[in-house]
Formats: sequence, C-alpha cells, structure tokens
Amino acid sequence: MPEITMPRLSDTMEEGTISRWLKQPGDTIQKGDILGEIETDKATMDLEAYEAGVLEQILVPAGETVPIGQPIAIIGTGAGTIAAPASKQVQPTKAVQASASSTLEALPAPAVSAPHESAAAGDGAAAVKASPLARRLAEEHNIDLRQLQGTGPGGRIVRDDIEEVLEQRTAPAAAAQAAPAPVPPPSAPPPEAELVKLSRVQLLIARRLTESKQTIPHFYVSSEVDMTDLLAMRQTLNANLGEDGVKVTVNDLIVKACALALEKFPEVNSSLKEDSFVRYKHINVGMAVDAPTGLVVPVIRDANSKGVRSIARESKALIAKARNNKLAPADLEGGTFSVSNLGMMDASTFIAVINPPQAAILAVAATRKQFVPVDGQPVIRDLMTMTLSTDHRILSGATVARFLQEVKQLLQNPYSVLG
Amino acid sequence: MAQMTYRQALHDTLREELLRNENVFLLGEEIGNFEGSYKITAGLLKEFGPRRVVDTPICENGFVGMATGAAMLGLHPIVEIMTINFIIPAMDEIVNHAAKIYYMFGGQCPIPMVIRTPGGGGQQLAATHSQNLEVWFAHVPGLKVVAPSTPADARGMLRTAVSDPNPVIFLENLALYNVKGEVPDGDYTVPFGQAKVTKEGKDLTVISYSRMAAVALDVAQRMEQENQLSIEVVDLCSLRPLDKTTILNSVKKTNRAIVFEEDWRTYGIGAEIAATVQEEAFDDLDAPVKRVASIEVPLPYSKSLERAALTGAKHLEDAIHSLAPRRRR
Repeated sequence: MPEITMPRLSDTMEEGTISRWLKQPGDTIQKGDILGEIETDKATMDLEAYEAGVLEQILVPAGETVPIGQPIAIIGTGAGTIAAPASKQVQPTKAVQASASSTLEALPAPAVSAPHESAAAGDGAAAVKASPLARRLAEEHNIDLRQLQGTGPGGRIVRDDIEEVLEQRTAPAAAAQAAPAPVPPPSAPPPEAELVKLSRVQLLIARRLTESKQTIPHFYVSSEVDMTDLLAMRQTLNANLGEDGVKVTVNDLIVKACALALEKFPEVNSSLKEDSFVRYKHINVGMAVDAPTGLVVPVIRDANSKGVRSIARESKALIAKARNNKLAPADLEGGTFSVSNLGMMDASTFIAVINPPQAAILAVAATRKQFVPVDGQPVIRDLMTMTLSTDHRILSGATVARFLQEVKQLLQNPYSVLG
Repeated sequence: MAQMTYRQALHDTLREELLRNENVFLLGEEIGNFEGSYKITAGLLKEFGPRRVVDTPICENGFVGMATGAAMLGLHPIVEIMTINFIIPAMDEIVNHAAKIYYMFGGQCPIPMVIRTPGGGGQQLAATHSQNLEVWFAHVPGLKVVAPSTPADARGMLRTAVSDPNPVIFLENLALYNVKGEVPDGDYTVPFGQAKVTKEGKDLTVISYSRMAAVALDVAQRMEQENQLSIEVVDLCSLRPLDKTTILNSVKKTNRAIVFEEDWRTYGIGAEIAATVQEEAFDDLDAPVKRVASIEVPLPYSKSLERAALTGAKHLEDAIHSLAPRRRR
C-alpha cells in the first residue's frame, strides 16, 4: 500500500503546508492526477500522483505543515478507504491557519509570549534552527522558538533574538507604569483588530527584507530618463501585431536595457560572499511581481542574450504564473539583479529594498509629461525617474552612476536595446 | 621587577638554573662558541665551561637520545633544538623513549629533560624552517607542552620546566624573542596546566597561545577602543596539560569563542579546543566555535605569499566582526 510522503520541492524546503486537497478518500486516481497543492517556502506547487489506484486515506488535512518525508496520504486498492482525514495519527510540526484569520480577542497575549499547547521550546521546536544557548534561554523563559525569526547565520535563532523578546516583554509594562496610558499598550490591541497569519511565503519575505535592510549598507542613485523615443518605438513594435502576438511592455524594454548594461558592468552583476565578490557569468534579471500571496520576483534568465520579444513572452508567462500561485522554485531562483516597476501605479519616485544576495535593484517610477528646455524653448517630453538601490560593500557611487548612465543612454536610444 | 626582552628572560633563567643546580646542563647545536642561533645562550659557555654548555654535532636524534639517557641517570638536561623544524629526526627519542620510560619501567627513573625550541613563520625562512608542529607533541601522553607568550611567563615556566620530572617541550617563537615586558625577580614560577585570562570581556572569547596570544591581546584592546566590543582573551600557556576549566568558564560567560592559532587549521590545537567546548559547554554556545589559523600550504618563501598564507591580526579582526553578537556589533 504505497504511502505518499511530503515531497522535497526545492533545495531549501524543510517542510511543506498542504494548501488543499483536490481528491477525496475513495476517489480513483490515475497516474499524473493532481492530488492537491503544497505550499513551500518558495511557491505553491501541485502534488502529482505517481501511482494509479484509489486514494484510501488522507493523513494530513489541509492547512497543516509537516516535514519532508512524512506520509501525507495513502493510495491503495480501495479496500482500506477511510473517509475522514485522520490528523491525529501523525505529528504535524504546526497547525497553520492558512487563510483563516482569528480575532485577537481570542488570543491571550502577543504571539511571542504565549507558549503554544504544552511544549514551549520542546519537541515542536526541533525543526527550528537555534543555537544551544538560545534553546536553553527559551526554555528558561518559556519562549516559543517557533514564533521567532532568527537573525543569526542562515536564520538561526541566537541569544540576541531571545534578549529582544525579553526586552519587549518588560518594555510595555514599564511604559504603562511610567505614563498612565492614554493609549492602550501595544499588548492589548483594540478588539476589532484582526490577526492574519503570515503564509510561509510572507514569512520568508519578511525575514529576507529585514535582513536586507539591516545588514546591507544601501545607497541610492537616481536618474531621470527621457522616454519619448522609447515609447514611440514601442508603439511601432506593437502596431500591426496579430491576434496572438505578444505585446512588448515598457518594463520588458527596461529589463533588456538593464541586462545590456550589466554585460558592460559585471561588478553590478555580482554578490558578496564572505571575503570575495562573486561575479556571475549569467545575467538573470528578476522582476518584482505583486502576487496574491505577496511580493515575488520571478527571473528572466540570460536576459542580455534574449530578444525583447522573447523577454516579453517570458515575462507575460511568469506574471500569469505569479498571479495564479503557480511559480515553480526554478522560476524564482538564480536572479542576479532585480527591477521593480511601480510606474503603472503612478508613483512619481520610490526606492526599493535590495533582494539579497544581489548587489542592486532598480526602482522604476511613472513616466510623466513635462516641459523640457530644447534649444531654449519649452518642449513636452516623457520623463521617468529611476532609482538604483545598491550594496555599498560591493559598489561605489561612481560605478553605480556610470551604470545608471549606461541604462539611461540605452533607453534614450531605444533601437540599441533591440540589438 | 625589571623590563626585559623574552630573549633576555630566557637567558637569565638558564643562567640562574645553571648556578642553582650543578646537575643542570645545556646542549644543542651552536649554543656554545656561536652563543646560540638566536643568542639565548650568549656568554654561558665562557661562564660555565664545556661540561655544562655542550656544543653538539648536527644530529638531533643523537643528542636528544643522549639527553634522555643523562636524565635517566639524574642530570637535568636543557636541550636547545635550533627550531622546531629540526626536531623531526628526534621524534623516536622523544615520543617512544623520553615520553614512555618513566611510565613503562615502574616509575624507576623520571626524565627531567627540557627541550626548548622556537616555532613560527614570518621570517622568510621558507617551508621547512617556518612550521608550528607543537600539536604533534601536545597529542602525546607522557610529555608536557608549554608555550609562554610573555617574557614573564617565559621565565616562570622555564623554571617550572626544569623542576618537572617529565620531559617538557618548551615552545618559543622567533617573533617573540625581541618582545619586551615586565619580569618579576626572585623565586618566581608559573605553574603548568593553568591558562590565563589576559583580558576580561563579555561579548566573545579569543583563545590562543604563544605569539598569537600576544597578537590576540593587542587586537582585543584595540577593538575595545575602536569598536566598543568587549573581548575576553584566554592565553592557554600550557597545551598539555590543558586547562579546560578556564576555557569553559570563559565560554560560559561570553557564549562565543574563537581559537586563534598560527599552526594549520586541520587537526590543530583549535580543533581540540572546539571539541572540548562543544562537549562540555554545549548549552552555553550561541554560535559554532570559530578557528582562525594559517592557510594549509607549505609556507612560501616570497614575502607577499608568506604574508598571505600566515594568519594574523587582520584575520582575527575579521573573525571577531563576523562572530560578535549582532546587538553589540
């Protein structure tokens, strides 16, 4: 009677959450059928059947998270079908209320200080990465390690993280004593507030962005680009396109321009690893996409050697996948530079947070019509502000300015990006 | 209390021991007429004569064997091996004989022999003359291995070594000979098997010995000024017997440790300390024990390559920056 176990769906995956089951106990399964969906730290993926038979039993109900390798369902002849998901037969590492939200009223205290169920830092915390000292301190102070984001190497929970929790515990009480609070202390939010659990992807985003902003010395260089010619060229490119033709977007052209500039400035296409700069041979440009589960950055590989039409086709497919939660880990891996575009939302200027371990991210704002002096006369042109956020450990201001100048020149002489 | 170099402290102590006990004698290559390759024995042949200060041929296995025999018969030989690199021909005499005789023959004859020898690189003496081989001896029961880092400890530990009934490998370092420090006068000794906390601190512990212990202290003091990091420095002083208590107490206080050693990293002193710490202070560790050691190559002759291969203050600083707790960085 073959068991189906939680598959390893990405290199970094340690556990997965059953988002939903698409088959029910008793259903006949063909090889290749999609049994359900699994949410990993990177993406939501289909769980495919590798054997035909009857789905006899679901061992892990939707919403629960288990480590890879743990049996989650049983496919057999149909003789042993059990209708109800038997969640108690297995030990899920934690129960995640995937999309459900509960009101704060029901919760006694802030998340970090409430020991869940019986084991505070005990068995359930085994999958959590924490230093031995942090584990000991967590046990002594009744802190649930599963509720913490580690800031040590590889997300390890260290003493610093525990100390911060302990300080937060004492701080609100002290503040309340000092001033007879006109505002309720943060530990008691208004009852009408709602507690929405972070998905795994959101947790990952939160951790990575905090790490980026806290550990990378960001600096920013902006440049204003005249997009008039590029917009005209794009119109020509997209005119007379057949029914099934893929339109090239402004973003596609910016991705291509960045890729070409990266080819000329390999130091921007790099990372810092301990005492070395890693210069990447491939230029893989990530695009920030606003997906329902949160921000994702699918990657266009070797963007420098692809034509704009190929880039357009790929980016369209990636955005569609992102919107439907169908991005595979492979779609998200290997980025060496990122572009974030809020132009369509009319942002006049903004700066982005670096997507580690990359060295830079380009924030692209809206294109607006403005008067520009040409031969002493005001002329209306389409201007766009772009801002590059850069890791100062890897790059200096002059290099970044030259890189940005290259991007600008490519965009202002748009036919060069078609090459 | 007098200010003197590490070299002077060794010289004066040897002279005092020759005066104190007529069973003490020195032997080694070029220690008499030439007054020692590093001038530790300057003037001693003239003062004590060729029965007490013996110039030997270039045959370490021969004269270390001779010293072992002399020790069996009640003398107190103090051998100088010109550098630790030349000790290799005498391994059999040291490991199979000197380290075993007291134990194997019912405690009938102790081996009160001291082998003084400098290690260390950085003098452009190339691969065969720049090694740190102390770990070979620290591995062997029956030997004692000590590695003082200051003139005061050199004096105090050399006196302890001469009175010890077991063979003692007394590790010096070429780059320490000119280092100056205060040295107490009189019957001053430093016991074996006791590490020293040379600087107290809260954020992390650097564990080291010999010259690197001096470098570590310097780095720790500087970083306290410049980076507000509170670094504790433990100078092992003895490699065998090893003072685990001082190491563990320090790690229990700071929760983070770096072992800083001039030898190669693999199977080194650092490996032993790291293993001890994880065995006996696991629940106090907030990060893995870090080892800072030299690059694993035969040491190059070229100055720039030699500098690149050897560990030093810069490597330790980088390690401290990467290991220090985030909230104190």
